[in-house]
Amino acid sequence: MSGLGDLITGLGTLLTPMMLFHAAWATLLGIVVGSLPGLTATMGVALMTTLTYSLDSTAAIFVLICMYVGAIYGGSRSAILLNIPGTPASAATSLDGYPLAKQGRAGYAMGLATAGSALGTLAGVFMLVLIAPPLAEAALNFGSFEFFWLAVFGILISGQLTADTTPLKGYIAGLLGLAVAMIGSEGIHAHVRFNLGVQDLNAGIALIPAMVGAFGFAEVLTAMWNKAGELAVKKDKSDRTIPDLADLWRYKFTIARSGLIGTLVGIIPGVGEDIGAWASYAAARKTSKEKEKFGHGSHEGLIAAETGNSAVVPGSLIPAITLAVPGSASSAVLIAALFIHGIRPGPLIMIEQPHFVGLISAMVVIATVFMAFYGLTLTKAFVQVLRVPYSYLMPVVFVLCVIGTYALSQRIFDIWIMVFFGLVGFVLRQMKYPMAPLVLGIILGDLLDKSLRRGLTLSDGELAPFFTRPVSAVFVALIVLSIAMNLPQVRRVALAPFRRLGARLNA
Amino acid sequence: MHMALADRLSALLLFMLGLALLVGGYTMDRLEIRQIHPASIPGLVPMILGVLLALCAALLFRSTYKAEDRNAAPVLSGGSWARLGITTAICTVYALGLVGWLPYFWATFVFTACFTLVFSFPIDGARRAQLTSLAGALALGFGVALGSALLFEKLFLVRLP
Repeated sequence: MSGLGDLITGLGTLLTPMMLFHAAWATLLGIVVGSLPGLTATMGVALMTTLTYSLDSTAAIFVLICMYVGAIYGGSRSAILLNIPGTPASAATSLDGYPLAKQGRAGYAMGLATAGSALGTLAGVFMLVLIAPPLAEAALNFGSFEFFWLAVFGILISGQLTADTTPLKGYIAGLLGLAVAMIGSEGIHAHVRFNLGVQDLNAGIALIPAMVGAFGFAEVLTAMWNKAGELAVKKDKSDRTIPDLADLWRYKFTIARSGLIGTLVGIIPGVGEDIGAWASYAAARKTSKEKEKFGHGSHEGLIAAETGNSAVVPGSLIPAITLAVPGSASSAVLIAALFIHGIRPGPLIMIEQPHFVGLISAMVVIATVFMAFYGLTLTKAFVQVLRVPYSYLMPVVFVLCVIGTYALSQRIFDIWIMVFFGLVGFVLRQMKYPMAPLVLGIILGDLLDKSLRRGLTLSDGELAPFFTRPVSAVFVALIVLSIAMNLPQVRRVALAPFRRLGARLNA
Repeated sequence: MHMALADRLSALLLFMLGLALLVGGYTMDRLEIRQIHPASIPGLVPMILGVLLALCAALLFRSTYKAEDRNAAPVLSGGSWARLGITTAICTVYALGLVGWLPYFWATFVFTACFTLVFSFPIDGARRAQLTSLAGALALGFGVALGSALLFEKLFLVRLP
């Protein structure tokens, strides 16, 4: 239970006027960013990273966490009022949120979304403080062989689960990310690879310019390309924002299950909040006694989606902190930010900074409190935010993309990188290539490359240890199974026992 | 354009990129002069990635001939090409041209005001509405340029371009 003790200590550290001030503005900004279609949590965290260089490390990480928590929640606002998810994480929310808004019950939908998000985040925090320390301890036994397979598994599973149409596009996105990571000086012999004669590429492609491009500029382009949504303005006189406690109690199992699913999805590398929401929504629908209401304004569906996506936030921090493997695209930026502020995520975190897990959990808890407060009190203000025209908003976002990228190392070249990734990211998105595996590839490329070559050097070129060491063998089995599940025959055989069990339970 | 055609074109590009990675990795310096372990040559992972990317590209190409809904789905449809083109042009000119050529304040002022005007100016509107739009764009341009310059230069101590 030392994790819970660290959480309380962390709360004590953060409950100072200055820290609460940071939490207040950052969470509010996060909700605004998340609520605006076209601005995602990842973009918010990436842009905010560029604005926190001068803060001390605790305040900077706190601001980023508040931005992350706020933005994931904020996406529900436009999902409910516009039927356009503010962030991909809220896509499932719009299924039941928008019909409720159309019935004039937008306020209650937002209240339920707030309660679901808060409970989901708290469920995830509970898992974070319980799972992260033992996981970090277990990861201390990981060697090059295990880290190689962990990186492969992360990119593979992220590619498989985040691809919209075919897993092949997810795999390709992951491979492209890895290829980008091959540019510049490699980590073992300091040999410069693929710099194409450009001196600025000797140091490789930094994650922040790439992320700001892929998630900032690409989103500006997407927002200007798409048509604006229609605001649901109908209001029922009986509408209210504070959710009915009886309503929440009735769905207690849905909340607990969605929190668990969201956290587990968060732990899987590179599989973000949107998958957490969809998985929770699907599970709630499957087990609900009111299946017919789903898609027509179901309270249970709305709660499940919001609990699921918010629980991913602390869930994604578990591998990010303990293995330096991001659980979502936003946590990939957080990892980069941690390095910028002198914190080294990875298995050694529990040795180098034993209280960090508790501290970061406390940050999520405080962000959740502010998020719930704003969510229940500023309903009308957020409706006004959604009326801001893109012609006024997008130039501001792009200016931040440019100057934020430049500020990292004060190089014009980084702006070029940002623009390149923005244009390529836009085209790839339109062709249904997921961005998360690409980002994961960039961040894990170095680990994968070094681990493979280090492992081969240790084993004197022998491949056997990559397959015979216990943890490696488990990863290999998971990887083979993940790929084989793409074949219908294998999927049928593998899922048959679960189908039989489900049929027996339903009977 | 349908997804099948778009995928075929991108598969060809990706296949060539895969081959380039493979050749690039194979011809990369093996650092024999430094007597490194042959299994740790810098080109090893690029070669593997090249093979995998080419393989995935070939599978993607093959999958475009299957009669599936996703292959018939339209690509880059349902949006506004004019808005996309103008946004791309204005943003690219600002980021790659104006920044570094003009002082940051003026580059940002020109970009923000132009962007806002292009997308909000009521060409057929009343004179009053046009003046309001112009004033709004200039005010936003000034505010964003000044605010971001002060924030990064004075608070974050960044030497602006």
